[in-house]
Amino acid sequence: MSESKEFIVSSGEQLLQPTTRRRFLSVMGMGGAIVFLPSVFAACNNDDTGTGPSGSTTYKLDLSNDTGILNYAYALEQLEAAYYTAALGSAGFAALSTAEQEVFTDLQKHEVIHREFFKTVLGGSAIPAISFNTTTVGTLTANRAVLLSTSQLLEDTGVSAYNGAGKYLTSAANLLVAGKIVSVEARHAAAIRDIRDGTNGRLFAGDDVVNAAGLDVKSEPSTVIAAVNSLNVVVGTVTIGTQPDASKKTADANAPTPT
Amino acid sequence: MNNQPILDTIDPELAERYAKRHAEIENGSWASPGIIAALAIGSVPIALAALAKDAQGQGTLPTAIKGVLDFALALEIFENEFYKAVLGISGNAAQNAAFAPVRALAAGVPGAVNTLQQIQKHETAHIATLLSTGATNVFGLTENSFDFTGNRSPTGGGPFAKATTDLAFLLEVAQGAEDTGVRAYKGQAGNLMSSSGILEAALRIHSVEARHAARIRRMRRAAAGAPSSVRWSGTVRGGDAAAAGATDLGTNAAAVTLAFNKIYGAGANASTAPSEANTTQAGVNILTLAGANFGTDAAQEAFDEPLDRADVVAIVQPFFIPLIS
Repeated sequence: MSESKEFIVSSGEQLLQPTTRRRFLSVMGMGGAIVFLPSVFAACNNDDTGTGPSGSTTYKLDLSNDTGILNYAYALEQLEAAYYTAALGSAGFAALSTAEQEVFTDLQKHEVIHREFFKTVLGGSAIPAISFNTTTVGTLTANRAVLLSTSQLLEDTGVSAYNGAGKYLTSAANLLVAGKIVSVEARHAAAIRDIRDGTNGRLFAGDDVVNAAGLDVKSEPSTVIAAVNSLNVVVGTVTIGTQPDASKKTADANAPTPT
Repeated sequence: MNNQPILDTIDPELAERYAKRHAEIENGSWASPGIIAALAIGSVPIALAALAKDAQGQGTLPTAIKGVLDFALALEIFENEFYKAVLGISGNAAQNAAFAPVRALAAGVPGAVNTLQQIQKHETAHIATLLSTGATNVFGLTENSFDFTGNRSPTGGGPFAKATTDLAFLLEVAQGAEDTGVRAYKGQAGNLMSSSGILEAALRIHSVEARHAARIRRMRRAAAGAPSSVRWSGTVRGGDAAAAGATDLGTNAAAVTLAFNKIYGAGANASTAPSEANTTQAGVNILTLAGANFGTDAAQEAFDEPLDRADVVAIVQPFFIPLIS
């Protein structure tokens, strides 16, 4: 249980989180180093899209209507696109086989397409482009193992997010768009899982994500947003301003966790 | 997952009786005590059964939803019986015997049998879930209702007969069945919007079918016979038969090609059921998206397309001995 003596703070917002504060004090007690990344200060200057208590950027989602749900999808696609774009130049990618690299080059294109598609569809209603922390993203692509485990988490999270959000859409056309994308995310998830599975042949739709009723992962937006923020890759925080229709809320099922 | 009940013992009445005992543990007003209690104890099947009860009201689901569930059930029974025959666990001994040669070949490929078992397990679970949600086996389907050679005959003889003896061909067929399932559920989602619980369940089945299709693509690519259009990422490139990436069309290439054209092409109404080669989404031309100009292949792969019910019927009818609609 050796906790690092170096503690990297990437955003001012982090300092307001109880777990971060505890760790901060603990590292100080050990005489360790506290590193404030430039992003902490950069974020302080950028409060035009919303201001958190610390002055960092807040990306606020109003999930009471279709535009908000599509912005929620846009936020997730921004994360995936940024991650895979970084991944293509990473040490983790370099360690992959040719066949495995093909998966990542495909995924990067698909996620960038999804991101730009939502940006175009949402037009003036789109949330701003989210800033990502290149340092923390870098640690999540630094080797083959972390690249694959993070990719699996992102793809399963994407599937769970779309599966949980579809019921909040009021337009059949928007639901269809979400449906066209979620099955692609599920294919991605299966491919990444299959790489990690070796020759076992079951993890692509493993019992950890598909339950005994044959149903895939599903998460409410609040669960997904909390998971996204906990990755510490967003400079600032994504928050939910208005919650979706409470009458449609269901329990989360097999919420993805890092493995 | 140690709190899942035996699925096929759950019906709405039973679920409600069970759930009522737990009703006091929640006080929300957004759904019936049955749903809340089922969710509180973490049981999806019981929650679904309770949702079905809610939707049923006096015992009847809305006609449109019932029709979707019944149709989905028919497709799941078809898939389930197909994999059971491949695995040699069908109630139809002749089917088990027919697939014995390809079964032996699958046993020689690491992970292949595990994958087929995992998929078959899910199809069985989907049947139970749909039944507990209110679906009815309206076509009276049994293990004896199918001709997996695609000839609508108890004695087979159709263009897909090679699937019983050739693993690569079998996987082409399995991929087609899974991708048809993905397109079928996608096409029906809009008809389920009046019941958010049933819609959510359908979406969660839909993504499982997509996982299946992706794994089968990877098995085909790994076997070294499939072209590079069969992506390691498990996604669908192109439309019509080209999207199948089939290198072996059996003894009746015209019939197999026609089937793959239907599976990956446009439906009868190309505006509601575009080809998998579609590159325009919600009026947006993906090929000219600023900042995402990756060409036609990626634009096709990044979105899957729906099929209408009649299109799906046209694809699967040759494998069903009784007429379906």
